[in-house]
Amino acid sequence: MPTSALASTLIESGINKLLSLDEASAARLASLKGARLIVYLEPLPNAFMLVFSERVDVLSVYDSFDETVANLSPLDCCISTSIQTLPQLKETNQLTRLIQQNKLNVEGELAVAQKVSALFQQLDIDVEEIIAEKTSDVFAHQSVKTVKAIQEKTSNVFAALARNIGNVMVEEKPVAAHKLAVMHFSDEVNALRDDTARLEARLKRLEDTEN
Amino acid sequence: MSDNQNTSSSVEASSASTTHFGFKQVDKNQKASMVANVFDSVAAKYDVMNDLMSMGVHRLWKRYTIDCSGVRTGQKVLDIAGGTGDLTAKFSRLVGPTGRVTLADINLSMLEVGRDKLRDRGLVGNIDYVQADAEALPFPDNHFDVVTMAFGLRNVTEKQNALNSIYRVLKPGGRLLVLEFSKPTSEQLSKLYDVYSFHILPKMGQLVANDAESYQYLAESIRMHPDQETLKGMFETAGFDQCDYQNLTGGIVALHRGYKF
Repeated sequence: MPTSALASTLIESGINKLLSLDEASAARLASLKGARLIVYLEPLPNAFMLVFSERVDVLSVYDSFDETVANLSPLDCCISTSIQTLPQLKETNQLTRLIQQNKLNVEGELAVAQKVSALFQQLDIDVEEIIAEKTSDVFAHQSVKTVKAIQEKTSNVFAALARNIGNVMVEEKPVAAHKLAVMHFSDEVNALRDDTARLEARLKRLEDTEN
Repeated sequence: MSDNQNTSSSVEASSASTTHFGFKQVDKNQKASMVANVFDSVAAKYDVMNDLMSMGVHRLWKRYTIDCSGVRTGQKVLDIAGGTGDLTAKFSRLVGPTGRVTLADINLSMLEVGRDKLRDRGLVGNIDYVQADAEALPFPDNHFDVVTMAFGLRNVTEKQNALNSIYRVLKPGGRLLVLEFSKPTSEQLSKLYDVYSFHILPKMGQLVANDAESYQYLAESIRMHPDQETLKGMFETAGFDQCDYQNLTGGIVALHRGYKF
């Protein structure tokens, strides 16, 4: 019990804190008033229910997916998926494929899930403004500028590092094949496969003629 | 101290005209006013002391109770001995504008603290405040979908009367959840818990609320409360079905659940 209760407390606090940092989220939240989204995430031992009012309440659910689906109200949506699949849910055009592959199970009012997705995806948090409220404009501006510069520099360093490692492996210490060599090899393999297929077809034709 | 820990037998041992108030035997007619004095004294610091005494874990116990309530939009919920409204606040949002939550407490001071707190949080519109005795609930038969009682039953003079009264006001299909201190399941934890309850708790009460006696009563009343199995039996006597309980934090607290069919 304490783990699931603690988890739902942390999730609830986190969600409401995030929403409070974006004033525009209130309108999106209002459109969900009275709705509930129940999320079953493998391999978590229990599900979580998000209840929408002026804020988001998070409850732990100990019933099975089927039991929950049997008791859904018109404004409820219940989804079941795995933690690995979760990042793919951002791409709404992939939902049908995920459902067909049994990686996502959705029951109830789909619009609720879509609105919840929009609620979080459209979050626009002005970090600089938040820091400025607690410190000063100059400090906030400089802090955000510094963090952005560090982020940019870090990503540049990683990109350069990846390039250099690639060059070393392909050119200086050829432990890996060059991209062009791999493409050429692939073309040759394709040609061989086609030749083999043609030969097989000829042999079959000859066998048929003999018979 | 250990002589007094055999809670179930102690409870039953109370004679017809007397009952326990902590470890003392008092006249049954006096207990309600004595308990009222305790809560009048601690009402203002109740939330702070709860957080301090339980190191915040009481919030998780209460959250688990709400998780187990199965409450839905539009339902009627009764939160007996609701005190400062921890459960009511959450229920108010869960039942929505079409549902109602009744916060009932026998103690006016606690009810006032709870009402002020909930109104300050903007929770208005679907909450009723009722000063009521759990033994004689002033509500119609078959009225509520869910009844909860968190840390209140042990202060009731006649616990069986309270359970009978709750059974009466519950709708068929409704459920009762009683969250209450209980008996630790391990001997070591029990000893540690005794040291904490009888030596540290009253000192904390003295320091924070300037009232050691009330917190001494709290520790004693916990020991006099029926243990898990005895309380489950009392649920069944009241008529509840599918009664069960879950020990939380090693049995320091137990959540009892029963349904009316």
